[in-house]
Amino acid sequence: MKKSVILLATLLALGGPGGMASAEVKKGLTSVHLETGLPLHPGDEAWEQAPILDTDLLGQLVTPPTNTNPSVTSAQVQSLHNEDEIAFLVSWEDATEDRYHGIDQFSDAVALEVPYQRSDLVPFTMGGPGQRVLILHWAAFRQENIEGGYYDTPKAYPNYSYDWYPHAKPPYAYPQDWKSPYALSYIGGEKVLRKNSLKTPVREVVAEGFGTSTWKDIQGAEGKGIYRDGRWQVVIKRRFLEQSTSNPDWGPGKDSFFTLAIWDGGAGERGSRKSLKYGWIPLHMEEP
Amino acid sequence: MPKAYNWQLKSDVPYPYEVNRPERQFAMVMDLNKCIACQTCTVSCKTTWTPGRGQEYMLWNNVETKPFGGYPMGWDLHLMELLGEEQRWRGGRYEGPTVLDAPRGERVRGWSPGERDWESPNIGEDEVNEAVDVGTVLKTLPAPVWMFYLPRICNHCSQPACLAACPRQAIYKRPEDGIVLIDPERCEGYQECVRACPYKKSMFNFVARLSQKCIGCFPNGERGEQPQCVKTCIGKIRLQGYLNRPERSRSDNPIDFLVHEKKVALPLFPQTGLEPNIYYIPPINVEIPFLEQMFGPGVEAAVQSYEAMREGKEPELLGLLHLFGGTSGIPHSFALEGDEVLGLDQEGKEMIRVPLLEPFQMRPHKDEQFGVVRQDIP
Repeated sequence: MKKSVILLATLLALGGPGGMASAEVKKGLTSVHLETGLPLHPGDEAWEQAPILDTDLLGQLVTPPTNTNPSVTSAQVQSLHNEDEIAFLVSWEDATEDRYHGIDQFSDAVALEVPYQRSDLVPFTMGGPGQRVLILHWAAFRQENIEGGYYDTPKAYPNYSYDWYPHAKPPYAYPQDWKSPYALSYIGGEKVLRKNSLKTPVREVVAEGFGTSTWKDIQGAEGKGIYRDGRWQVVIKRRFLEQSTSNPDWGPGKDSFFTLAIWDGGAGERGSRKSLKYGWIPLHMEEP
Repeated sequence: MPKAYNWQLKSDVPYPYEVNRPERQFAMVMDLNKCIACQTCTVSCKTTWTPGRGQEYMLWNNVETKPFGGYPMGWDLHLMELLGEEQRWRGGRYEGPTVLDAPRGERVRGWSPGERDWESPNIGEDEVNEAVDVGTVLKTLPAPVWMFYLPRICNHCSQPACLAACPRQAIYKRPEDGIVLIDPERCEGYQECVRACPYKKSMFNFVARLSQKCIGCFPNGERGEQPQCVKTCIGKIRLQGYLNRPERSRSDNPIDFLVHEKKVALPLFPQTGLEPNIYYIPPINVEIPFLEQMFGPGVEAAVQSYEAMREGKEPELLGLLHLFGGTSGIPHSFALEGDEVLGLDQEGKEMIRVPLLEPFQMRPHKDEQFGVVRQDIP
């Protein structure tokens, strides 16, 4: 109840839902239908067919810890889809490329959020009880792990020396046998390893309110980010309907909504310290 | 925001969640007069819990030298800066700010240690408070020149700042013993807990990419045993048990006796407002104002009680201190029986019996038979 009051006050301060939005955002984003496969690379020519939506972002101010001085204040979004999949290309300016998640060091990231029900009455702030949202979260550190090799101690601290790992033998390869005590002490268990060793830089999360976001068991979304000339360009791609898991009500010809959040790791942004779009953006799905 | 009564401050503190008291509260007492900074506790903790990748820099248990040591560097100075000059005790009641009095938009008043802050766990080791002239002899207590060792683990606070700060609700307090744990499956490594904990006992594992902390050796506790750091302490400075609220204090409970009855064991920086549950018997060689800043207004009385014990006026206290390091089990109660002290388990069964005075012999200074002076060695 209290959170709703704060949220309402915040929205009023912004001039109502979508009050700060440009006319383009009110109109929404059109996802262009393709008969072909969807691109994963941000530089793919196919993106030239997709209209660009400019959107303003604000610091997260609804729930503490807040971000009163957001680093990223605008982003551009495009979308393509075919019968089975949808892809988004998000780009934004960021003065620093932050690809690592370390001690007091955070990674650049972007997340897209889609309501399970095709309604803008679902709270865009991570959903609500019984009003589930899907969050597709791309992070630069996850992509770095895949492309540059796992960010383990020798990579993080090339000149380090350490006497002895009591449960391990050199060369301290990443554990495979989860029955060995070494594997457990190495990283904290199988589930933690699974979170850290995804083959995709995008994680799929569901949420029904603040603090409830939870990893999905099935992780199918893909992504690819490119940092060039002070700018991130990130593609996030997912099947509309993934097998053996819950999915939003979306697909070709089914208009829905989305919103987004961006983190500048170099500015210490993580978790709720982020920039976000206050409100749902209509997502028009072109029919085949 | 709900409020929680903090008995250490004798006042309410704001807390984002309603505080549910655990069935019993994990607590520990450390006698700082006896710590020699051998770091056996540190090593036993390290080899038990943090030998893995990404944990190389982690010491869930550390021992630092006061006044200048600190792990991470300057954690206590940062805390003093955060709380500012408004820290004020009046009649045993704290009237200043706590770390739970968060600025707008934050959950906790905190600061984030950087990588470099963790790099020198033994900085300031053995350094005394000021330069010493050659030939100086210390004849008084407290002494004008002093230092002491401060062993630290997670305080398993009654109102933990880490728990309050976690936006993922990944941190919880076990209802059965009040031990504070991080759920590795919910933690996303935002390090809000690292920022929030004023004692800096939550640490980030940069390989697993989640925060980790002292777990109070809960698998030991579940089978009635004390934590590794206690069991291996060669100075026998530690005792772990369970602390009751002051109104439910039991004089035969070792921790209650030291904390509530004799009031010789005091919380570390109680002005954080978190109700930390690791208690310290203050070192009697150190000047009182320094100790008061660190352990609150009960320091002078605690030192007096300890001195009285040394003079033989506190047989129960003397007896209980003899139980420290005497058993690996958790003594739930204790009793004096003649010139022996008994530690009893949860069922009241005797676990250990220790004489108040170990057998000893006095030998004359001069050995008349051989005509030599004996050295003071065994």
